[in-house]
Amino acid sequence: MNSESKFNPEKGYVALLGWSLNAVEAAEKFDRRYVVVAPDWAEAYCEEHNIPYVPWNFERLNDRSVEIAQTLQEMGVDVAIPLFEETVEWAGAINSVLMDKPRLFGQAMLLRDKALMKRRAQLGGIRVGIFEEAHDKGDVIRFLKRVNQTLLKLDGDPNDPIHLKAFDKAGCLGHRVIRTPDEVDVIPEEEFPVLMESHLDGWEFAVEAWIHNGKVAFLNISEYVTLGYSVFVPATPDLEKYREQIKGEIEKLIKTFDIDFGFIHPEYFVTSDRTMYFGEVAYRPPGFKVFELLERAYGFNAYQALIMTFDPKTTEEEVKAFFPKEVEDAKGYAGCFGVYPRRRVVSKLEIPEETEDHDYFESHELTAPMEETVTKRTAFGTHWGLVYFFGDDPYRMRDLLKHQEELDFYV
Amino acid sequence: MTYSNETSPSGELEHKLAIKAQRLDDAIEVASSSPSFSRLTKMPRLIESIRQVLMLEGGCAVVEARARSIEQTGIFEGSDWADPQILIPSLTRLSLRSPYSDTVVIEALSELRLLAVAKGGYEHPRMSAEQAHHYLAQVLAINLELLFGTPSEAEREQQGRLATISRAVIRHLANRIGYEHIIDRLIDEIWRIVNQRPIQVTDVRQMITQIAICRNNPDIDLGGSGQGADRLISSLFGPTQACREDPGVGVYLERIQAMDQAALQSEATGCARAMHDTGLVSPYHAALVQYLREQSPSLLSEALGLSSTGRDCLLCYQDLVHALIQQGIFPETCQGLYGLALMLERGIMYQPPVAPALWRQVQLPLSANARERIRLAFGDTPEPRAWLIQGVLSMLGQPLGVGQGNNPTCQSARALSMWAYNDPDYLLQMVAWAARDDEIIMHFEGEPVSSRNSASGVAAEITLDLDPVSLLVVPHLDRIYAEMGRMCIGREGDPHRWVNPEFHGWWSGRGFSINVDVATGNLLDLERFLQHFYITYHPYYNGNQPLIHPQPAGIAVTDSAARFIGWHALTILRVSLDQQDRMRVYFFNPNNDSGQNWGDDIVVSTSGNGERFGEASLPFEQFASRLYIFHFDPLERGNPDAVPAEDIARITDMVYRSWGADRVPAEGLQADSGPV
Repeated sequence: MNSESKFNPEKGYVALLGWSLNAVEAAEKFDRRYVVVAPDWAEAYCEEHNIPYVPWNFERLNDRSVEIAQTLQEMGVDVAIPLFEETVEWAGAINSVLMDKPRLFGQAMLLRDKALMKRRAQLGGIRVGIFEEAHDKGDVIRFLKRVNQTLLKLDGDPNDPIHLKAFDKAGCLGHRVIRTPDEVDVIPEEEFPVLMESHLDGWEFAVEAWIHNGKVAFLNISEYVTLGYSVFVPATPDLEKYREQIKGEIEKLIKTFDIDFGFIHPEYFVTSDRTMYFGEVAYRPPGFKVFELLERAYGFNAYQALIMTFDPKTTEEEVKAFFPKEVEDAKGYAGCFGVYPRRRVVSKLEIPEETEDHDYFESHELTAPMEETVTKRTAFGTHWGLVYFFGDDPYRMRDLLKHQEELDFYV
Repeated sequence: MTYSNETSPSGELEHKLAIKAQRLDDAIEVASSSPSFSRLTKMPRLIESIRQVLMLEGGCAVVEARARSIEQTGIFEGSDWADPQILIPSLTRLSLRSPYSDTVVIEALSELRLLAVAKGGYEHPRMSAEQAHHYLAQVLAINLELLFGTPSEAEREQQGRLATISRAVIRHLANRIGYEHIIDRLIDEIWRIVNQRPIQVTDVRQMITQIAICRNNPDIDLGGSGQGADRLISSLFGPTQACREDPGVGVYLERIQAMDQAALQSEATGCARAMHDTGLVSPYHAALVQYLREQSPSLLSEALGLSSTGRDCLLCYQDLVHALIQQGIFPETCQGLYGLALMLERGIMYQPPVAPALWRQVQLPLSANARERIRLAFGDTPEPRAWLIQGVLSMLGQPLGVGQGNNPTCQSARALSMWAYNDPDYLLQMVAWAARDDEIIMHFEGEPVSSRNSASGVAAEITLDLDPVSLLVVPHLDRIYAEMGRMCIGREGDPHRWVNPEFHGWWSGRGFSINVDVATGNLLDLERFLQHFYITYHPYYNGNQPLIHPQPAGIAVTDSAARFIGWHALTILRVSLDQQDRMRVYFFNPNNDSGQNWGDDIVVSTSGNGERFGEASLPFEQFASRLYIFHFDPLERGNPDAVPAEDIARITDMVYRSWGADRVPAEGLQADSGPV
């Protein structure tokens, strides 16, 4: 149970911003005192299960925001940890009070706005693609034309696509790919303003980096098989061969954004000439259950790592002892696949036999369909659930994940 | 990419099994190390890894070996499987054939866990090895066909590859328990149950049907076993010459129409003998009786196998009996014939109100709600009224055959049984109120208590695995019983003191003795309690007075390891000497199967020690050692000091060795400091 005595008094007291069961579980099993800061719908659950809890509704920052910082300060909390994109600026605001470092708030605002973030990266000498903000559909059409003119395309040649992303949403939410001016018409007005980016033909991947005292404590490279569908860790040797270069890029990010502690989750493209392009960076755990995959592959709890690297009372030795050696210490490769129904009308969930029988198949969290008609995907959309795999060969893993895209899980 | 087990060398299979077993161990570790609030999220992976292991040959053994650690992750929590003692074997037919993977996996897991319990490898807090063994023998019996042959078309269509798991589990169970013993053990099991003459025999009929199917299947070699099933099978499917080969009721009717009086008489005695041998009635018997009622009523007494008492009663109330048969006995409700025969034998129809009350029953209109409930439980034919008549006949004929089904309603079942036994017209009144009016009103210390206005009963929901009378009446009784309990809130001591006499009837003694302190759960005045029990019930110490009315009593049920399981209600029926001149307590246990092992060599007997059908019995001392509540008449005083101190000491020792072990009050702990 939740007795105070199980926590190490030498260590810090952390606040988790946002509700994540896996994060709470990790904290419960760890040695730091913790408190969950979450909207009031979590209250009953926390009470029932004896989870330390402070209610707070994370809407927009406003003049009442300082209340939560003061509450946490009075409780003796040392640091606030953002679990979701929406709580990143809250963590910045709270930590600037708790740690008496006003710049943390500015840093958080930078990390929350994709356009500001790209500008800052550019200023720091980090290579980014072409990007612009769009306030209406006209801006999008102009950008699409200009990018393709730059690429010396003639009228009638297929356009290179551009990407549209919401400024302040996580991952694939609100992400659209636009190839022709017709496609611009379907974008709802309320999605503006958006960030537009040129398309980079390259290999997209993500990095999870834990930072302690301004240095990289653990760096994982997550290989996307197909963006929005599948990911696995560690990456294949084909991608891992860039590790040193990637580490250099991360160190540039740390310097540019003045990040001292915590965890970052940037995305990059590497083009065929080995040039790295920065996509974006998030100051919170990644989606797609990468933390769970890391635990499966390495055995350490990534949320505990998060708590540790945020905690100002953590020592260098503890960090060293906590993390395994990247790639070498992995017990195998862990991957997951996000299932989208492929048919327009589905009636039941049926895991394909070949998937179910595969040595690498571990489990899935798919549920029976609630409705028979599948809503057409507009943007990248949300998958219906994940299927987990684990095995010892990264190439088999990659091909297996790729192959899942051709199978029907809902029929 | 299809993968076939047959073509892969066994080494590869072993390797694969080892990998999957490792995965399973990982999943168990993850689930058991997570805090309670997030356990649930670990279950999909755990269930999936169990499924993967079970899909492989040898997988069942892997899961069985891990049964305890898997159960300890809380995988069964929140479901019936968490309480294996309430599981009903016949339901496994459905779950093992379910098209839903999780259902099949959980059911299979539960069986493998009980196998570990039965084999002694896993000491379960709520189930003894013997209980688990009984249960699994029945599961095997009910799923016998999964052992033999290949999956049927229906199985494949519905379940696909899941059938592999169901079949593997049943085969594994049979292997571990022993093939040759299944059928014979099963038959013994059926006889043991049948000898208690329960009213509800659906499960028994199903098991016998399975044995019959297996015996008729040329692919199944049962060797020398299975002989003891002849009488069971024939009593259901061919009790007489004219239906020996189970020709169907239509053909049988044609045959008896062509029979002369002598042949009919032989049919009648054949049916009656089968019925009285087993307590099971064949649908042919129902057809015969209907025919005799119209064509040859003089043979009815033969067909019911009546003695002179029963025949006398039949002749006195011929019209009524004919009406009951006409309205209530159909091939589907044939079991009612056994109840009818025994009711006639009991002579209760000579009590003035009983015959008119039965006439009311024959014509009783049922409320829409009652009709719906009966339809849900028993189907559309015959009509609900017929089912209820069958139920009434069964209950009046077999008052000790009442069972509570899978419901925590032992009190209500006990009351029904007690009324059927002791106050039959009151029971008929209850049935009329419940079935016709959807409301029963009883009185508690002068205050009316309506079943309609009472909030909730002891049981959240009453299941349908009950006889027709219980099905309609128990929901009302349960709510009233719970309401009476609520009306005692605030009184000091155990509420049964007041509720039992008000609920069961005036004959329940108003004196009340309990040996447990309600506040602390500790034992209270144990010696005094036992002396008092002796002078009230034991003929040697109560002036040789046989027990007059059935009395409610409460016992502490223990399992075969003598560990406390829970409190339970039963009825003390009589106390007398058995054929070895031992003083025994004969009692009724509303639990569906009275034959239980309560540990410390206390095995409840259901036959062979002078029990009447449906009675359970124990030697007086052994019974006293599990007793915690009894009623008595406060005006009848005996001499407590006449009871030998050594008898009392032996019993108190038995209490301390079992359910009383951790209930000894502090001053009794001088010699033993006990666990800290």
